[in-house]
Amino acid sequence: MSVQPQTPDLDNDSMEDRLYTVKYDDPGDSHLDVKVEDVCAECETNDCVRVCPANVWREGEDGVPHIAYENCLECSSCRFACTYDNVVWTYPERGAGMTYKHG
Amino acid sequence: MSLELKSDTVADPNYDDEFDAIVVGAGLAGSAAALTMANRGLEVLMIERGSSPGAKNVFGGVLYTPTIRELTDFEDAPVERYVAERRFSMLTEGDETAFSLRPGEWHEEPHNDSYTVLRGEFDEWFAEQAVEEGATLLTSTTVTGLLREDGRIAGVETDRPDGTIRAPYVVLAEGGNSLVSEGANLKPTETRENVAVGVKEVLEFPERDGVIEDRFRLTDDAGVSYHYFGEGAVGDAFGGGFIYTNDDTISVGVAYRIEDAATHDQSPEETLNAFKSHPAVAPLVRNARTVEYSAKTIPEGGADSIPDLVHDGAAIVGDAAGLVLNNGVHLEGTNMAVESGYHAGNAIARAAENGRVGAEALQAYPAALEESFVVQNLEHYKWMMDAVEEDRDLLFEDLPRAFADAGTEYFRIDRTPKESHAKNAKRAVLDAVGGWTGAAKLALRYRKVVT
Ligand SMILES: Cc1cc2nc3c(=O)[nH]c(=O)nc-3n(C[C@H](O)[C@H](O)[C@H](O)COP(=O)(O)OP(=O)(O)OC[C@H]3O[C@@H](n4cnc5c(N)ncnc54)[C@H](O)[C@@H]3O)c2cc1C
Ligand code: SF4
Ligand code: SF4
Repeated sequence: MSVQPQTPDLDNDSMEDRLYTVKYDDPGDSHLDVKVEDVCAECETNDCVRVCPANVWREGEDGVPHIAYENCLECSSCRFACTYDNVVWTYPERGAGMTYKHG
Repeated sequence: MSLELKSDTVADPNYDDEFDAIVVGAGLAGSAAALTMANRGLEVLMIERGSSPGAKNVFGGVLYTPTIRELTDFEDAPVERYVAERRFSMLTEGDETAFSLRPGEWHEEPHNDSYTVLRGEFDEWFAEQAVEEGATLLTSTTVTGLLREDGRIAGVETDRPDGTIRAPYVVLAEGGNSLVSEGANLKPTETRENVAVGVKEVLEFPERDGVIEDRFRLTDDAGVSYHYFGEGAVGDAFGGGFIYTNDDTISVGVAYRIEDAATHDQSPEETLNAFKSHPAVAPLVRNARTVEYSAKTIPEGGADSIPDLVHDGAAIVGDAAGLVLNNGVHLEGTNMAVESGYHAGNAIARAAENGRVGAEALQAYPAALEESFVVQNLEHYKWMMDAVEEDRDLLFEDLPRAFADAGTEYFRIDRTPKESHAKNAKRAVLDAVGGWTGAAKLALRYRKVVT
């Protein structure tokens, strides 16, 4: 039993489970990139990582974020978030990438 | 059926100069434009990057339908529920103070033109209406750029083999992530203060039938639209949470400024989790299973962010033109998308009938949009986002707190006379807004919300 009876237990899905609900057709290579790696190495905020709702951008040890493009929901947040305008953002080709059933 | 046929038969088409107009994006704005032009006898090609219209689209939940009804027979549209209740909740971390409307009139057709829909199904249906009027739909095709000839836009580049398609007019209906319009320098990229990130889940209740009706007090096709703001919804970020009821699922999500997502510690996913776990929200979503997780951005720069709507050979409509009203009380983009697509389609049809090209030939579109609710509403609320930004702490933290405290105090049961509780309650609210002077100033500043 919960100690705070007013807050019911709620099992939120893990990110993995969440992303699993979206159909994904791998375009083969990444539709996301950075323009200049050095800019990312200098960048202290890593806003791309912070805003991404799908953990596509991940903090890398070298200071440059790693991009797990296969989970991208194509929301475009990272593109707007980067104040250095250092995100290369294109759409996956010919309908590849994610597909929503409901939307 | 006809859709699949169309998209199959045009696997690698050579469409040069076969069409009077090309529409980039088969969302609401694109289909409205295509439908309007096809109705007026134009040969129209709609290009959609998803495998079907809506396959890559997501929104919160309520489709506003006055213009759609004018454009097509809405009877068979795949809607989920009509909106019978709208509720606005202020959340502190532990409290909820809500205002709810359930007018009897909303149960009557046309249900205040407000229906919950899921875009996967709806967008496909709406595009099909354009196809039935004669438009051609090309799916799984991404427009990668615009073709220019002698300075004017003369078609599109796509990611298909032989991907260039020429046509005298192009309608840019690509949504808020407007890579094509921006790439062709038809508009600047929005700043992150003017764009929100929305994350949403579609939830299903596996355990039994009728659970949505029970939890949301509904009968038949009636549904709800719940909006939440304040600290308990999205922390001190600028935005809010929402719940919409579908036929047998619910849509739950949060949307707030990318600026805040970037500068706050919580990720959008964590913000959504926290919202779902709020004591006022959790009982509504408990025991539900996530059937879809989705995310998309919303352009919310308002009137000041509308780019030039027409160019030589092109018109920009819907979210690509920044036509979204999001001020906390209203979240409307679907009606604006359809309205703008309709006016742009009409302007192009008229220009084509007169054999005219060029930006001036399309001026009827911005002119009509200015006269319509789209620009008028955006203008009317232009001041509001700035005011809300200025009063952010007050509106999202202090007031929800004060209302919760005042309510608790006002209804407190003990052996003190009511009069003293009422006085204390009033003081809690007055203190928060800075006394009578503060209240008067606030009332003055926000009077346009109701006038
Ligand atoms: C989280 C969230 C909640 C919302 N809630 C509401 C609400 O409850 N009510 C409301 O009225 N509005 C709401 N909105 C706003 C509303 O969804 C939009 O205003 C509306 O969908 C805009 O329609 P559109 O046709 O302009 O763009 P979109 O609906 O975005 O359609 C654009 C289409 O173009 C396609 N496309 C994009 N680029 C290309 C390309 N290069 N080539 C080919 N195809 C392309 C896309 O796949 C898509 O199908 C919400 C938005 C979000 C993100
Ligand atoms: S993409 Fe932008 S925000 Fe992300 S690390 Fe590089 S510079 Fe920083
Ligand atoms: S588009 Fe959205 S989901 Fe994809 S990487 Fe960028 S922020 Fe993440």
